[in-house]
Formats: sequence, C-alpha cells, structure tokens
Amino acid sequence: MAKILKDLRPVYVVGVGWHRYQPLSDTPYVMLGLPAIRQALADAAIAWPDVESSYIGTGLLGMAAGRAMLKHLGATGRPLVHIENASASGSAAFRHACIEVAAGIADVSLAVGVDKPGIVQRAFTKTGIGNLADDAIVPFTHFALLTNEYADKHGVKPQDVALVAVKNHRNGALNPNAHRQQARSLEEILGGKPVSGTLTALQCCPVGEGAAAVIVASEDAIKRLGIDPGRAIRVTASAASSEGAGAHATADAAITKDTIADALKQASVAPTNVDVLELHDAFTVEELHYVEAMGVCKPGQAIHLLKEGAFDIGGQMAVSPSGGLIAMGHPIGPTGVGQIGEITLQLRGDAGPRQHKGAKVGLAHMVGLGAVCYVHVLERP
Amino acid sequence: MSTPEVLKAALYAAEGTAAVPDHPSLKGGRCQCGYVFFPLQTYGCEVCGRTGDALQPVALSGRGTLIASARVHIHANRAPAAKPGAKPPEVKPHEAPFTIGSIKLEDGPTVRTLLVDIDDRTLAPGQKMVAKLVSVGTGDKAIVDLRFTAAT
Ligand SMILES: [Zn+2]
Repeated sequence: MAKILKDLRPVYVVGVGWHRYQPLSDTPYVMLGLPAIRQALADAAIAWPDVESSYIGTGLLGMAAGRAMLKHLGATGRPLVHIENASASGSAAFRHACIEVAAGIADVSLAVGVDKPGIVQRAFTKTGIGNLADDAIVPFTHFALLTNEYADKHGVKPQDVALVAVKNHRNGALNPNAHRQQARSLEEILGGKPVSGTLTALQCCPVGEGAAAVIVASEDAIKRLGIDPGRAIRVTASAASSEGAGAHATADAAITKDTIADALKQASVAPTNVDVLELHDAFTVEELHYVEAMGVCKPGQAIHLLKEGAFDIGGQMAVSPSGGLIAMGHPIGPTGVGQIGEITLQLRGDAGPRQHKGAKVGLAHMVGLGAVCYVHVLERP
Repeated sequence: MSTPEVLKAALYAAEGTAAVPDHPSLKGGRCQCGYVFFPLQTYGCEVCGRTGDALQPVALSGRGTLIASARVHIHANRAPAAKPGAKPPEVKPHEAPFTIGSIKLEDGPTVRTLLVDIDDRTLAPGQKMVAKLVSVGTGDKAIVDLRFTAAT
C-alpha cells in the first residue's frame, strides 16, 4: 500500500531565506535566488556542498533557469530539477524535496522558488478546444465572480470581504520581505481602484519578483552536520490533489477541503489545533472560502470570526501572519516556499513583531491554475 | 440581407433547440456515462475517460440561471487569437467596462461569458438568462458572437 510522508523517515525544515518580494526591477533572477539560498544555508549553518539535490519552483522564467543560478554557489555536480505548477510551483518543489529526503534518497535538499514577472502563454489556450470568452476572464474576474456568489449566498457585504485585506496588509507591514509593507484602512482598500466586481486593487495580490529558499534535512544529516535540532521544524504531512470533472465555480474551495482534510489526517491534527495558517489568499474572498473549507467554522461564518479578531496574530489562529499573498505578495515560484519559511519562523518563535505566541502547529496551503492544491503541516517537535 | 457569420461556429449555432427555439443553442457533448459538457470535444470524457463514439454532440438550450456576475473595470486588450498564417477576424475587441456572467445552463454545464443589455445595479444571482447573438464585426463582413442577457 502507498505510504504517507509520516510513514517514511522524519523530515525537518532546517534553514529558511528570502529575497524580498518587490515590484519588477532590473535585478537579474540569479541575484534574487542566490541571496535567498545563501540566507537559508546560513540559517541552517551548513555549506552548499552539504546540499544533495535542488528543486526549483518557477513559473515565468523560461526553460532551465536553475543551473545558471546555482553554479554561482560552487561546483558540486548535484542534481537539480525545475518544477512548474502555476501558483503552486514552490509548494510542489517543497513537497518533492521532502519526499526525496523522507525516502532516504538524499539527506539534505533545497527547495527554492524564484521568479520575475513575464509573459508566459497558458497551455489551456493551446488545447485546441475553444471557449466563449476566456480572453475576457482573467483570474481577478474569476474571483470577482466567486465573491459575488459568496456574498449573495451568505448575505455578506463587499466591505466585510475587504476586511481580509485590512488584516493581511497589517501583517505585511510587519514583514521586511513583504511586497506591500503598509497598513491600510478599510476606507483606503474600498476606495482604491476598482478592478472587477467588488474587488479593488488592494484586495488583489501583487505579482512581482523575489525568491524564497527552504532547506530540508533528515535526522541523520542534522546529527552529522551539527545542525541545531532546537531550530528544526518537522514536516508532518504533505498532501496534493487536482480538480475533478464538471468543475463547479468553486473548484478551488472543493479541492482545498479534500486536501486539507487529507493533510490534517496524515498529521493527526484537528483543524482547530492549527496555530498558524498560510493560505492562498490571492484575492480576499479566498481566505473566507478556505478557512471554511478547512472546517474552522461553518460556511458563511468566517467573516464573523474575522471581525472578532480570531484570525489576527494573537487570535485563535493566525491566518497569513506573513501578510499572505495580498500583502506578502505572489511572485509565483517563491510563494509556496515562502509560506513554509514563515511557518518555520513562527514555530521557532523567531517571527519578531509578527510572532503568534505559543505557535506549535502550522499549515501551508496553495492552489494553482489547473486547478491543483498542495497542503503541508509543520510541527514544532 | 445575407445571414451574418458566427464568430465561433464550433461553440454555438443561431438555431435554437426544440425546447428553446427562439434563442441560439450551444454545442455541447454527452458521454455514455451521462456526463454533459461544453464545449463539445472528442479527446476523452473528463469523468470516465471514454472516447470515440461514446461522446456524442448535443445541442444545449440557450437558457439558464445566473450564478454570479462581475463588472470588469480593467482589461488589457490583446488582438483576438488567429491560426498561424490566418488573418484575425475583424471584430471589436473587449473594452472595459464590461460584465461577465457565470450561467448554469438548464441542460447542465456552467458557462462564463459576456453579458449584454443588463442593468448591473439590479442584476443578481438567480436571474433567468438567455443566449443571444450580437453584432461584433468591424469590417465588411457581418459577424455575430454569443452573449447572454436577462430573460424577459
Ligand atoms: Zn464519461
């Protein structure tokens, strides 16, 4: 029978690093990725030759970005592979790094996400199957439609949905790696540029450039390399899925429900025992969909918890303490890796002004175009 | 006057179905397993994987219910896609603002496309919708494309 991650040997996050997520600049992608990797190596207190394999999550750079970047860390001749899975590219890179270490094929692996904005034609436009008006329906309109549907179904006002952006901008203002580092009032968010439906610009994630790196290691490697076990965070579940047929409009929420349930079961954790949650909140309504899909509360109730401060840092469960995609940003490849980094900081108690006190269990969730879904559970040993 | 050319003949036809003769129909498919989908394709069923004769064309009526709508305020115009070497059709580009609707067809599938002749202030989920053809040509040829509007 197939195994789950926990059936294999334990895997730990031992090093995390970033290049700040930011608007498109002249900085070559190599100089986004390398600082993130060097920071993660320094965080783990290991050297590049200790890393046995690399998984590079990237969606927009084009073919074979990895070697041109990694070669500047010195020649090791170790394998690398690129993983493209739309918004979930970084999450997929992390999953496969974990699986390689858990399986015993490597003792230390790197998952790095790096991207710069660029035009990449989406493959679904090349299937040869036509569509009525997909050229007029970009992601923000997909989520504007879902916002309208959610608001109608649950009697929620647009200004309530926008509260997600208030919280996440407040968190992002405390994060030096966030694309947006400014707290915003509800009035500023609602009064911003209208985008689609009731979504305004500050309710949509910025897609810029940046990098995030995470090093995972086995217990053998932690001992052998003298890594501080007190700073190692165990990965106790990895779950992934893709959308079924007859896609209802809320397919992202449907696969989220199943995939989070799978991950929590693997880790033997109840939804309410998660202390820190990093979600794919590319658009405000998504946070409401996904905390409900997770089983934190009943459908339509998330807004009440949000208003009570339940999802604030220091609340019942900190939701997107990094600032989430809305404030931390969504440079595609780095996003899923950066979530793991944030949860690692939180579970170590190293998150500074963003620290959710006493955080022991974290969950990272991403969806990607397709749709695909990834969920990881991390726990402080 | 000659009959206008439909922009996407693979997806819809001016002729309605027996149930809804007065509105254009959509070209869907039905699998032997019972799955009804839009648009028609013969690559393989998304539910059961059957292919070939298991997938049959079915005309879907141009009638449904609005699930959601959104007034789009920002849109980056790109030239309509054309086959390599072919001249793109001479049609109006989408210009913001416009309204997109998500419509559950009474015959099963959900489609998303542009809405026309609607009042955004009163439009709400649950509204009955119908398909209609609107003129989109900018050249010598009369070209029509499918839209949805509120049923009267
Ligand atoms: Zn079938």
